[in-house]
Amino acid sequence: MKKRYPVLLALSLAITLLSACSTGQGAKSAAGDDGKGASGKVTIEFWAAPNPTQQAFWQEMAKAYEAENGNVKINVSAIKESPSSEASIQAAIAGGSAPTISENINRGFAAQLANSKALVPLETLPGYDEVLSSRHMKDTIEPWKFADGHQYVLPIYSNAMLFGWRSDILQELGYAEPPKTYSEVLELTGKLKAKYPDKYLWAKADLADPTAWKRWFDFFMLYNAASGGNKFVEGSSFIGDEKAGVATLQFLDDLRQAKGLLAQNVTDPFETGVSVFTDLGPWTFTNWAEKFPEMKYGENFTLSMPPVPDGLDPGASKTFADTKGLVIYASASKEQQEAAMNFIKWVYSSPENDAKWFEQTKLPPARDDLSTNESFKAILDASPELKPYAENVPNAVPPMDNPKFNELQTFIGQEALNKVVRGEIDPQTGWSNLKKAIEGELQ
Amino acid sequence: MNQNNPRLGWLFTSPYLIYSLVFFLGPLIWSFYLAFTNWDLIAPTYEFVGFDNFLKALKSPGVQSAFWVTYKFMIVFVPLVIVMSMAVAVLVHGLPKFRSVFLIGFFLPYLSSGVVSSLIVKGFLSYNSPLNETLRRLGVDINWLGSPWAALLVVGAIMAWKFTGYYALILTSGLAGIDKEVYEAAAIDGVSNRQRFWKITLPLMYPAIYTTLILAFGVTFGIFTEVYQLTGGGPNYATNTWQMEIFSQAFKNLQAGYASAIALLASLATFISIFIIRKLLEVWGKRNGWV
Repeated sequence: MKKRYPVLLALSLAITLLSACSTGQGAKSAAGDDGKGASGKVTIEFWAAPNPTQQAFWQEMAKAYEAENGNVKINVSAIKESPSSEASIQAAIAGGSAPTISENINRGFAAQLANSKALVPLETLPGYDEVLSSRHMKDTIEPWKFADGHQYVLPIYSNAMLFGWRSDILQELGYAEPPKTYSEVLELTGKLKAKYPDKYLWAKADLADPTAWKRWFDFFMLYNAASGGNKFVEGSSFIGDEKAGVATLQFLDDLRQAKGLLAQNVTDPFETGVSVFTDLGPWTFTNWAEKFPEMKYGENFTLSMPPVPDGLDPGASKTFADTKGLVIYASASKEQQEAAMNFIKWVYSSPENDAKWFEQTKLPPARDDLSTNESFKAILDASPELKPYAENVPNAVPPMDNPKFNELQTFIGQEALNKVVRGEIDPQTGWSNLKKAIEGELQ
Repeated sequence: MNQNNPRLGWLFTSPYLIYSLVFFLGPLIWSFYLAFTNWDLIAPTYEFVGFDNFLKALKSPGVQSAFWVTYKFMIVFVPLVIVMSMAVAVLVHGLPKFRSVFLIGFFLPYLSSGVVSSLIVKGFLSYNSPLNETLRRLGVDINWLGSPWAALLVVGAIMAWKFTGYYALILTSGLAGIDKEVYEAAAIDGVSNRQRFWKITLPLMYPAIYTTLILAFGVTFGIFTEVYQLTGGGPNYATNTWQMEIFSQAFKNLQAGYASAIALLASLATFISIFIIRKLLEVWGKRNGWV
């Protein structure tokens, strides 16, 4: 017996050590294979975006829903960013501890997950159609349909990305409103450099960075405007509009030659007036309220849709939709999936909940009636800078749904945009190179 | 207590052995298996692809850049950190009082968060920072994180700042191990300060320097946080390290099998490089009669 002591002690130590590594996650196993705990309640693990306002919204919704539905328990927690939320979700799925439902999923990442059969096609769950009709999102959801005909993401918000202009500096240059076409922008750049040689039209280090998601906020904003919202990639085919693509790259090249671009790390270039033009999402305004209270819509900045190539109608300009939504994971039990859909249905049965979301997060709910529904009028009246975002929800094109979106968008930067911005390549060659690289990857 | 009882040895080492088996050896074997598949760790099905992942990796510009960038970081980081940590060690060792206080002070950057220090440096080097404003007034305009060599130097310098205190601790212990009588004898013989350093201090510190150099070379194979935060591996792959490439493939492109193949290639490059460096350092020591 004496000889066994060391072995027993070693085993106890090892078990203690390993149990300390447990994350405590894995709702399904903890609650039983059907997701029901000992009390008979269905437990849903809800992962919210790692953003305090969004987390608070979902916690409030979960508490209210639980009060009305005693048979459901919803655990809301923030997605860990170690080092990114996508990596955390992937690790959780691989480790068997995926949540039932999560938000903050863009269309490209959803395509990656769907390709790996990790997501439930939402239209297969009862109640999905009711969500679409009660939330008035028939038009908004249309471009979200995936190439395989399924619908894996329910968009929560849709930011029609706009360009911000320093209207105070524009006025000094003799402009009452922002330029709308490429030649008008170039003309403004010339006037800006003549008066303020140290200022730039657009100061943005990301222009020289090949990271895939950064193309949403430069290339795709301009390309969608130039192409009228061309999908770029459909299924496994490259369907990019060459004329629009080359025009987009040429515009950037012209700005570079006019010394209007500064592709370097600059601290708050737009706010400090180093640049007069920037891509702006509505989340910026919450930050400005604290850090730059002097930034006032209509006083020193204004918003516009992306400029278009000469000869196109600026009124028909399209932009990129920075939009994220909810997904339900295939690893959850049927009961959990249905309970999650019922929760979504409950949340979106009332526009008041969307209004609460809009007010708290400043992220425009993805619904067709955002600019017409009375529930949102007070918020839009109180924050007029949000109006252009609400109005342009239908003019915003969501990201591509290709599972290789990360590689494809990296090519746009690596093969074309970054090199054009650095003056290493001409726009036509850049377009040809990116086309070749993307077609090669899609094969 | 019977000091020859092997069971006690196993007992006390077992927690670490089990930990290593579960969290190091297990994943290593698993990674080896994954490297021959096209699995993304999520999909219910996957295929064995033979050596395809390895062949793809060898042809990839990202992997090729990771291979060379590591050696470029060695050129920047290793001399810088050795000179800085040696300087700190010599200075602190020469202090009459408060040596440990200063050593702790220099050690603090090692404990600091790589994310936080990177963000501070990013602000410090931004186009409109006081430093750059001043430099531009003097006619010097440097795109610190946007030009290949400048970005490499910046990341190398942050790493050197971070590791200087840690390596200085090792070198200080080496200095403390040198008998004062040796210096006293040298002083009687009229040895100059320079000769004292090169002929006495350096040879007697060889074991500490050897350890520090091996650690410093090893660090260059594991750079991630600073690059991830500051440059994302750019510009144009100029700072794309092995860890950055593995992360991009595994967690951005969801290609766990391919990323595992890159990780194995990175391990191979690390083992071979460290082996060669170790041999060169041993030859250096033997040639000078230090070992």
